[in-house]
Amino acid sequence: MERTTDSLTKMVSDDSGPEAIRKLVEHAAHLLPSQGPIEVFVHHNTLHAFEDLPFHEAVKLGLARYGAQPYLLEQEYRQLFRKGRITDEDLRAVLKEDLGQQDQERINGLGTRGQIRLAMLRHPVHVGPDAELKWIVAETDALERFHSEVPQDLRDRVVVGAKEWLRSRQATERSTSADLDGLLVKFGRKYEEWGENAWEAFSLHLLWRICRTGIQSTPPRIASVRYVRPRDLLLKAFGDDIDQDVHDLLIRFCAAYVDQGYSDWELPTRDKGFYEAFLTLYTQSNWCADRWTRGLSQELRRLQASGVTPEASIEESIRDLGVPDDDREEFVTQTLLGLRGWAGMIWQLESGAGPVVHSIPSGSLLGLVAIQLILERFAIVDVGFDKTGRRSGAGDVLQFAQRKLSEQRPLNIERRAFLLFQAAQTLGWQPQQLLALTNDQWKELDAEAEAFSALERRRIYHEAFERKYRREALDAFISHTQSFDEISARQKPHRPDFQVLTCIDDREESFRRHLEETHPACETFGAAGFFAVAIYYRGAADSFYQPLCPNVITPRHYVQEDVGYTFEGMHLERAELRRRLGLASHAFHMRSRTFLGGIFTGIIGSLATAPLVASVLFPHLTARIRKHLGSLVQPPPVTTLQLERYQEEPGPENGHVGFSCEEMASVVIRLLQDIGVTKPDAFSRLFVVCGHGSSSLNNPHESAYCCGACAGKRGGPNARAFAKMANDWRVRTLVKQAGVSIPDDTVFVGAYHNTCDDSVVFFDLDSLPPSHHDDFEAAREAIEEARRRNAHERCRRFDSAPLTISPQEAVRHVEARAQDISQARPEYNHATNALCVVGRRDWSRGLFLDRRSFLTSYDPAQDDDRHSILARILAAAIPVCAGINLEYYFSRVDHAVYGSGSKLPHNIVSLLGVMEGTASDLRTGLYQQMVEIHEPLRILFVIESTPEALLSIMQDNPTIGRLCRGDWIHLAVIQPTDSTVQVFRNGQFEPYEFNGAAPRTASFSRDCYRGCRDNLPFFSITATEERQ
Amino acid sequence: MMVEPILHALGVVVVGSPVVLLTALGLPLLIGIRLSETVQSRLMKGSVVAGLTAAVCILGVMLVTGSRHVPIEFGNWASIPQEHFHFHLKFVFDRLSVPFVILSFVLCGTVGAFASVYLHRDRGFRRFFLLYALFQLGMVVSALAGTIETLFFGWELVGLSSALLVAYFHERPAPVRNGLRVWSIYRIADAAFLIAALTLHHLTGGGDFDGLMGSGPWPDGVAAIDSTSALLVGLLLLLAAAGKSGMVPFSGWIPRAMEGPTPSSAVFYGALSVHLGVFLLLRVSPLLDASVLLRVAVVVLGLVTAIFGATACRVQSDVKNALAYASLTQVGIITVEIGLGLQYVALIHMIGHACLRTFQLLRAPSVLKDYRMLENAVGSSLSGDKAGRSQSTSSLQLWLYRFALERGFLDAFLNVWIVDPFLFAFRSFDSLERRWTSLLSGGESRESDRLAPYEDSLEDVA
Repeated sequence: MERTTDSLTKMVSDDSGPEAIRKLVEHAAHLLPSQGPIEVFVHHNTLHAFEDLPFHEAVKLGLARYGAQPYLLEQEYRQLFRKGRITDEDLRAVLKEDLGQQDQERINGLGTRGQIRLAMLRHPVHVGPDAELKWIVAETDALERFHSEVPQDLRDRVVVGAKEWLRSRQATERSTSADLDGLLVKFGRKYEEWGENAWEAFSLHLLWRICRTGIQSTPPRIASVRYVRPRDLLLKAFGDDIDQDVHDLLIRFCAAYVDQGYSDWELPTRDKGFYEAFLTLYTQSNWCADRWTRGLSQELRRLQASGVTPEASIEESIRDLGVPDDDREEFVTQTLLGLRGWAGMIWQLESGAGPVVHSIPSGSLLGLVAIQLILERFAIVDVGFDKTGRRSGAGDVLQFAQRKLSEQRPLNIERRAFLLFQAAQTLGWQPQQLLALTNDQWKELDAEAEAFSALERRRIYHEAFERKYRREALDAFISHTQSFDEISARQKPHRPDFQVLTCIDDREESFRRHLEETHPACETFGAAGFFAVAIYYRGAADSFYQPLCPNVITPRHYVQEDVGYTFEGMHLERAELRRRLGLASHAFHMRSRTFLGGIFTGIIGSLATAPLVASVLFPHLTARIRKHLGSLVQPPPVTTLQLERYQEEPGPENGHVGFSCEEMASVVIRLLQDIGVTKPDAFSRLFVVCGHGSSSLNNPHESAYCCGACAGKRGGPNARAFAKMANDWRVRTLVKQAGVSIPDDTVFVGAYHNTCDDSVVFFDLDSLPPSHHDDFEAAREAIEEARRRNAHERCRRFDSAPLTISPQEAVRHVEARAQDISQARPEYNHATNALCVVGRRDWSRGLFLDRRSFLTSYDPAQDDDRHSILARILAAAIPVCAGINLEYYFSRVDHAVYGSGSKLPHNIVSLLGVMEGTASDLRTGLYQQMVEIHEPLRILFVIESTPEALLSIMQDNPTIGRLCRGDWIHLAVIQPTDSTVQVFRNGQFEPYEFNGAAPRTASFSRDCYRGCRDNLPFFSITATEERQ
Repeated sequence: MMVEPILHALGVVVVGSPVVLLTALGLPLLIGIRLSETVQSRLMKGSVVAGLTAAVCILGVMLVTGSRHVPIEFGNWASIPQEHFHFHLKFVFDRLSVPFVILSFVLCGTVGAFASVYLHRDRGFRRFFLLYALFQLGMVVSALAGTIETLFFGWELVGLSSALLVAYFHERPAPVRNGLRVWSIYRIADAAFLIAALTLHHLTGGGDFDGLMGSGPWPDGVAAIDSTSALLVGLLLLLAAAGKSGMVPFSGWIPRAMEGPTPSSAVFYGALSVHLGVFLLLRVSPLLDASVLLRVAVVVLGLVTAIFGATACRVQSDVKNALAYASLTQVGIITVEIGLGLQYVALIHMIGHACLRTFQLLRAPSVLKDYRMLENAVGSSLSGDKAGRSQSTSSLQLWLYRFALERGFLDAFLNVWIVDPFLFAFRSFDSLERRWTSLLSGGESRESDRLAPYEDSLEDVA
């Protein structure tokens, strides 16, 4: 699949010499997947390497480079078309915009370009591999009957045309061509007796022959394929894949090389680097190795003895394989991409991404390339031996293969003719029209059809699909803001009963919506889930500090959880108990794999039946037992955060842990400004700050389910820390000086929402003043109800939960998912995400967004002229949301190449990632079960701001500029006061024309989704409007 | 006595429940009815519960009545008196088969329940459970087999379903290739088994274990054949067991077999399938008394396998491989125990090991989380830089590491000494034949050589 493509950047000027080789490798390394250790899973744009290009060019480059699908398959889009998820109107509009001036160009009097393309989109065009095409003609009645979707009038038109042709031919008695005469012979001359069916078949055969004859006159474009990588050449020539053997060996070695401590024996001399370690190990005598590695140890000994560096070895290999100078870069790139998962991981570790236990020396990737090329040379020689019976050099084998490369004669004519034949049917072209075409006109027609290739069709389908959703979303916002204006005109805002701040995560959208429905007198906000508290955190039961903040930030502060001093003794005892149990259990698992320990554990192993059977058959019970037992060894429940620092410098040691008052104040100001709650009357008596995370069993990708703004960890401690800071009266004084005054009767409470089992826990309730107990009870009641409803809404997506489930059962169901070791889909995570709303909640409140939208709070009225608040919000929100959205997009359109395939055979390797089975490339991206319900749409940002503000932010922030201008995301700004929207297209904002369609209304969310598992349209919900 | 008919009825349930399951899952597929996931998993659970209950009842009845040997006859299914051949279907409940069949039901049931959630919405759900039913039937038949041909029958079903489940993800090339490899190695084991069965028929006039081992209940039987014949038959059966249990030199297939979904890997290579070879040795253990040489061979093979497994296990850096070699180590040790005549120890060891390993394999995706949890409990990095790591490694250590990393060169050994000569021989025959036929026909003799794909035009095909 990987063919020569234009390189992204200029060729490296000087192509030989060690420096140049190193540059080649480092340059190619940027194309490798950039996923680090799986435990800190960070969503990012899978095609980050191509982010400089516009989206559509980048996905095409992805196809050329990685052989990955750029869009959904054509069948999938067609299915969406049939279901009405893409309409005729969308296709027309997108085509028109895409073609611009060329839309109306007429092609040989057969129709305009726009018409021809639309016909090709509306009706399925079968163009497949030769064998498939052959099957279609042979096994279906493609030449006997019109395609089922061709309307009757066009059918009649074609048949009438065929009759006319026959009549005129009879009249003149002139033979047109041998081919068409042959047709008459085939059908017989008694056409007076033909029935309707015979005429239909005759017309189609006639069309087919005309198309074929016409196409014959135009020369086919010869797409010559040049194989830069020897492996591709050999695979094509002989069907032997040398990667099989080479990778088998390399994977084993790579896994041992990067192992973070799973295996008992460490790879000898691994700290000397990949190349050295391999040489050391494989210069050992090869007494019974596979045939293809014969002579490997001698060769390696030669390299070792004469001190050949990896660079020199690569140079040697390149010369030995006879790679032309021009192809060097391409050759190295393709070689690296051959085993891209492992190469990517080595590159990540080597360049120091993420904390790891065992780091590896730099130059490892270079070593990998050198070794891979040496092994490939041996494998090539072996293939040569297999084919010719004698050993010759790798270069000779490749030349031999080149000669053997059979000249393929594809069904070029038939394939092109079949495309036109189908277009002729769907556009009702008549035989005479086609017969009248000159050779040049045929050529033009052929070029026309070729230009609208399958790839182009999918691009148009995709744009149309996105357009439909985008328009629905924007229409919904416009009409919703209109009604919002009416309501806010009628009502005077009262002080809300309580306020809840959650993460911007799309999974919190429904939680907030249900909260607002349950208790209309509350207010909700969204902000990045670390709540401006960037910390290294250590829980009471943890031994290490972990970062809790977005990956791009390196925290300066450390926070730890302390057990209440009264319980210190118990805490120490339990810590010791945990340590002993931990050591014992580790020893048990390690020993069970050894010789003698295995005998012991094997014999008492029958006892394992109890946990085995229990955890599979009774997950809920097992979880409860585990919890009860766990409570005996876990730290005592009463803990506090050590949040205040006494020493000058922040650090992990005692006294250096925590923040100073000024630092706390700046955190509080920052967050409150972001969400636009700064005036005293904006605060309610109770302000709940709710972090989120997810817990599931048997899930190596668990980190991908947690809070992205907390580096794939759980965001509870951040919420707890923020609440504690904001409650501190010293902090409040400082905050007041900065112009944000928090009323004295406002109390902050930290909470944590588990998005998998939908539980919510609150922190530090002991310090809640009695005056606020009633407020808290009201809030807790509303949150309890909201989480039940939220679980209920989530259950509609799970096939294993009946649609008739009650909210109480729904909670049980989602809890069981989190506790079940056999569950491959604990939750659906960010699947179906498609929107991001930035602005005041007031105008999006009461809109059913179907858990597809990120919600960020922002109040433009409180921003300064330089839009600094919006700029800092977007600086995080756009890359993060786009990263999540694009990773889902790519993993969904090609879960085998961009994603990590099915979860079922996953196997954790080196404590760093997963393989499929025991010897596959390291798999990156999201797995199939996680994205199966996702609809790949680029995310649409709807921002409450002005075009000028956004343009200036794009100017200042290159990342945002790149994403917006390259169409990696869609962007629209909205003015809720007058309900106008402007969308960003082709580098500028254009006014958006409202369709006039208001979303349907429903009284509760439940009425919107009842009995339905698919994605839903937008709804206006009336329950949230009864705001007092 | 009322006991006989009760036992017989229970026995029929034990054997019948997997048969019913296979039919219930297979027939609808054949006639194009698509059962829902729920129906399939209910059928599976029902079958396991029925079989398990009946097996436990039999155990109870046997304990109460003190009977140690309950044969259940299904008569001759094929009989060629001239050739002294008859396919005799007979099942035996004794101290070996009852625990093993209960183990099979428990593990199959648990892993089946696991899989019915784990494979939810997977395209191959039906295929998986069909093969799964086939496997379960194979295990039950092998466990209860009272004649060598019955055992062979079950043995084949297990082999077939294993190979097909290894190739479960047939859209990727690697699983299919590995499935084929497993299948080929099973063929070697099967050939040895078949020859052993035929030899046995010749020696004793029937494949009945009673005839072979004397009439004493397991394990007290006394082999009824002489030492040389015992050695011959025993070695063949040892070869069969080695192939099936992945012992040296056939160990190469075990890591390859981990390509299937996690639950099938767990039940096959952690638990049941891998122990089937050992079970065979247990079943024929009275043979060992008849020949000291055979006993030595068993002990040596077991020991070599155990040492190899323990060594290879040390360097595996992925979870499933490490567990696979850990299993192999224990299989080797169990073989040694059988060789030493410790049948009961071997049986207990086998059951315990199967349960433990299944549990470990099913929880394999939790390894990362477990590591973090333990590290937090212990307070230091479990895998941290090992203090006092020797900087210089001796060449023996290097060699041992290489040996373990290359999995004992066993695959290469089989490739070089068995596969390559085999291919070479048959390719030579092919070229000889071609030369001969070309000579006879005075030109190119094989028309298929000249056929190019897509010669005819599309319309002609129509």
